[in-house]
Amino acid sequence: MKTQRELHDTLDFIATYASYLLGSGVHTSRVFRNSQRLGASQGIDIQLSSSLKNIILTARDTEGGEALTRVVGIPALPISFERNSDLSALSWDAVDEKLSLDEIRQRFDRLIDKPRMDPIFVLLTVGLANASFCGLFGGDLTASAIVFTATLVGFAAKQRMQAHGLNHYLIVIAAAFIASLCASAALRFDCTAQIALATSPLFLVPGVPLINGVIDIVEGHVLVGVSRLINALLLIVCIAIGLGATLLMVKDSLL
Amino acid sequence: METFWNTIAAYNAATWPAQLLLTLLGIMLVVLLYRHPTAGVRLAMKLFMALLNFWIAGVYYLIYCEPREYHGMLALFWAVMGTLWIYDLAVGHASLHRTSRRNGFALLLFAMPLIYPLVSLALGRTFPEMTSPVMPCSVAVFTIGVMLAFSERVNIVLAMFLCHWALIGLSKVYLFGIPEDYLLACSVVPALYLFFREYIDQHRSQVTKPSTRVLNTLLLVLCLLIGAFFTVTLLHQFDLYSETI
Repeated sequence: MKTQRELHDTLDFIATYASYLLGSGVHTSRVFRNSQRLGASQGIDIQLSSSLKNIILTARDTEGGEALTRVVGIPALPISFERNSDLSALSWDAVDEKLSLDEIRQRFDRLIDKPRMDPIFVLLTVGLANASFCGLFGGDLTASAIVFTATLVGFAAKQRMQAHGLNHYLIVIAAAFIASLCASAALRFDCTAQIALATSPLFLVPGVPLINGVIDIVEGHVLVGVSRLINALLLIVCIAIGLGATLLMVKDSLL
Repeated sequence: METFWNTIAAYNAATWPAQLLLTLLGIMLVVLLYRHPTAGVRLAMKLFMALLNFWIAGVYYLIYCEPREYHGMLALFWAVMGTLWIYDLAVGHASLHRTSRRNGFALLLFAMPLIYPLVSLALGRTFPEMTSPVMPCSVAVFTIGVMLAFSERVNIVLAMFLCHWALIGLSKVYLFGIPEDYLLACSVVPALYLFFREYIDQHRSQVTKPSTRVLNTLLLVLCLLIGAFFTVTLLHQFDLYSETI
């Protein structure tokens, strides 16, 4: 049987754990499974309910029957598949190695403190990835080169605006506008300019929320799934506004 | 191509006194920033940079380049860069605190706007149908010089804009036969490497992936690839000339 203190500590830790998973781009059912597995390793039954911004957890001592509930906010963290994988593995380790809560917490802290990707490295690789998209969609070498530098400009602007804490939707509109404006330079050349223009804001497409939204709906978490899809749809509308503004300004017949 | 040179001729013929004034003002501010880098001089330089960018957007592209296609898009591009300088001023970004490094390369870049017309003259052009100190590429090279010489913290967005402009500028070598624009392309590659390396050095204390050494190597490889691309283009350009001759 758990003391009140132990139940509090375990629930607080699992609440932090679940919020980190959801903030890092994990779909809902995986978060539920991992958190429940972690709770089971400590002899506690965990039940969860999630929305887009918050998560509600109830922990019940399986022996004593005492229950506690927490509501925690989901932090806006960068998407990290490595962190998702590490945290999922931690829940399995807790079961397999019968870890104590202190040991789990120490491992959790070590995983969270792992070095982040360097922003300059991310900038360059996103540029290369977007240029490759242009190539995949049939763009020629000139168009791909222009998309590469246009993405560098758009993504650097996005990073700076995020650092200054601007509204997320405004950031996406501005970044899409800047990237497509730079890519519109392709119109002056004898190249596949339309493909360059269309692929320049692709780095802004919210792929993870779209995939997670679909997975959530399929797995029965319809409310949170629809919320994620609406959120992703709004971001896509923002991209369209940014791209549309460029098209209206540089070549009105294109829109 | 004829439209291109006609617009440049009209711009130079009508604005040479203003260009002369802007050039003198630029020289004065650079000297002041080297000798007396006070807060007032930094403020004046940022305002001057914004003015230069808005000048290129408004006077050069919107007024004199009106006959050219997509002049509005290019005007907007320069207006965004001008706005970045104003934003830089508003948020108090430490972008013009003297670092006293790379002065040799920076001085060469400062001289570029004056070298541009000389190269034009050497290529047999005559006034007003020639490049001048207050034209997009000259201003871009000057901006890179300012950032290299005086930036404590490089404005990466502005650096990326200039990198993009250098790529566009390279096209003019083919489209309009202006080999002078190689000067911008050649300045951008080492400048880009220095900007990024400085940024990496500034964030050395933060533990990130990949390591600083790997990042520096990747950067070097990327800049060498871009440099190789420019060199191939240059050699191809020589081939084009020899075919013409």
